[in-house]
Amino acid sequence: MSLLAASNLTKRYRRGGKTVIAVDDVSFHIEPGETLALAGPSGSGKSTIARLALRLIEPDAGRIEFEGGDFLALRGATLRARRARLQMVFQDPLAAFNPRATVARALDDPLRIHGIASRGERPRRIAELLERVGLPADLASRAVHEISGGQRQRVAIARAIATKPSLIVLDEAVSALDVSVRGQILELLLDLQREQKIAYLFISHDLGVVRAVAHRIILLDAGRIAESGEARAVVDAPRSAIGKALVAAAPRLDRSIRHNAP
Amino acid sequence: MSPLRRFLRAPEAVAGAILLSALMAMALSASLLFPSDPQAIAGPALLPPFQDWSLPLGTDRLGRDVLAELFHGARTSLAVGLAAAAASLAIGAVVGTLAGFAGGLVDEVLMRITDAFQTVPGFLLALAFVSVVGPSLGAVVIAIALGTWTGPARIARAEVLSIRERDYVASARAIGMHPLEIAFREVLPNALPPVLAMSSVIVAAAILTEAALSFLGLGDPNRVTWGGMIAEGRTVLRTAPFLSIVPGMALVLTVLGVYLAGEGIVETTAVRRGLS
Ligand SMILES: Nc1ncnc2c1ncn2[C@@H]1O[C@H](COP(=O)(O)OP(=O)(O)O)[C@@H](O)[C@H]1O
Ligand SMILES: [Mg+2]
Repeated sequence: MSLLAASNLTKRYRRGGKTVIAVDDVSFHIEPGETLALAGPSGSGKSTIARLALRLIEPDAGRIEFEGGDFLALRGATLRARRARLQMVFQDPLAAFNPRATVARALDDPLRIHGIASRGERPRRIAELLERVGLPADLASRAVHEISGGQRQRVAIARAIATKPSLIVLDEAVSALDVSVRGQILELLLDLQREQKIAYLFISHDLGVVRAVAHRIILLDAGRIAESGEARAVVDAPRSAIGKALVAAAPRLDRSIRHNAP
Repeated sequence: MSPLRRFLRAPEAVAGAILLSALMAMALSASLLFPSDPQAIAGPALLPPFQDWSLPLGTDRLGRDVLAELFHGARTSLAVGLAAAAASLAIGAVVGTLAGFAGGLVDEVLMRITDAFQTVPGFLLALAFVSVVGPSLGAVVIAIALGTWTGPARIARAEVLSIRERDYVASARAIGMHPLEIAFREVLPNALPPVLAMSSVIVAAAILTEAALSFLGLGDPNRVTWGGMIAEGRTVLRTAPFLSIVPGMALVLTVLGVYLAGEGIVETTAVRRGLS
């Protein structure tokens, strides 16, 4: 059984009288511990799919099964409790944190909300989370806005894994980082995946990164699936026009990152 | 340049700060300098100012010390002004945040209520409220807040509408935070700066409204107020105009001081935000 199965997802936006179909009849599934990449040009609907999968927005049509249950049927407290299993890391780690937050508070929230640790235990759990993502424990007292971009993205990852999710949606999570930092963050994500069997919905426009970390890939074009398949096969020999265009536009295919064999 | 240095370079802001400091000094020192009841008789009635140095501003119709009344009145004005503004900003921030964050029907209902309050002149509302509830300091504070919370509510709502689309709000939802916690812990504190920028205008308006209510005899009867002093002096306006002029001047200078200092703070912090 798939960890997450989305079928016939459709999302339309109305803007100034015109209707934009951001996601048009898209179906896909993610297996436990798997990385599914979602690639495509800007505006092709990647972030909309991410938000649909997380129920940050509601689809106009379609179904989402998550961990064997109808995810779209969940409401209120049941939905909030279920969110522990499905987390997200955003592209801009600065925008993804409350401007007033400290590192400790950002990590305390998920632990408190889901009752994962008592008030007294939480500082220790926060230190463990920081250590797990390769950050010193004394970072906890710092404001999120005053640490570096790479550190911030590590904190975002720590926040995402705090509730022991089975799936993390990574929406361009490494795109805003320097190349050297990007490699380290990708390594961390791969380590966590191996260790905790987390599945990733890995959104990126960078096919080099996708080829290095994803098992399977879906190429989107204007809200529709243009092509899908095994990641390396698709990136090395794309069949769709949009796949060819994206490969041609990729600066260089980064093969330095160790591949995460399925 | 630090915001403080920039503030000190603006002459209006400095003038405002000086006036405001003087008012605060008066309010804080009132019971030290004039420990006895300011409403008690201190000398002959209608003593003009600068005649007797133990009663520098003279006495009123009943022989009460005008300077003592002025100091104690500063205390009432400041207390009512600050409390009413705080209440008004708090109500406005909460209503605006709920409306903007919840959207839909909640937004519709709250904004219709806001409209309704806004169409009734604030002073009439205050007048009606105090007439019904009876004059007391608390009633005056609530009465003034009733007429002034709509501005902060609209500003808070507009700010919340933009903040609720930010990634950190999506992130809070994604970790399963309760919507009310998101609204009041994640969104509201970040929506406050433009709302707080209104505080000087509201404090100034509140002080004026309090004076007007007291002038009409709807202030707290157990406290000296400048509005009450003006009303009191009105009966002897021809023979002893200073009894109205002195508290009147105090009122004008206070409102001016609050307004100028407040604008100075907003200006200098806004410039800082614009530069960074
Ligand atoms: N909130 C919104 N309102 C209106 N249109 C939107 C909204 N979000 C996304 N869109 C539109 O949907 C399409 C897909 O956007 P998005 O999912 O952000 O693409 P991507 O992440 O692949 O760049 C775009 O045409 C975008 O303009
Ligand atoms: Mg996007």
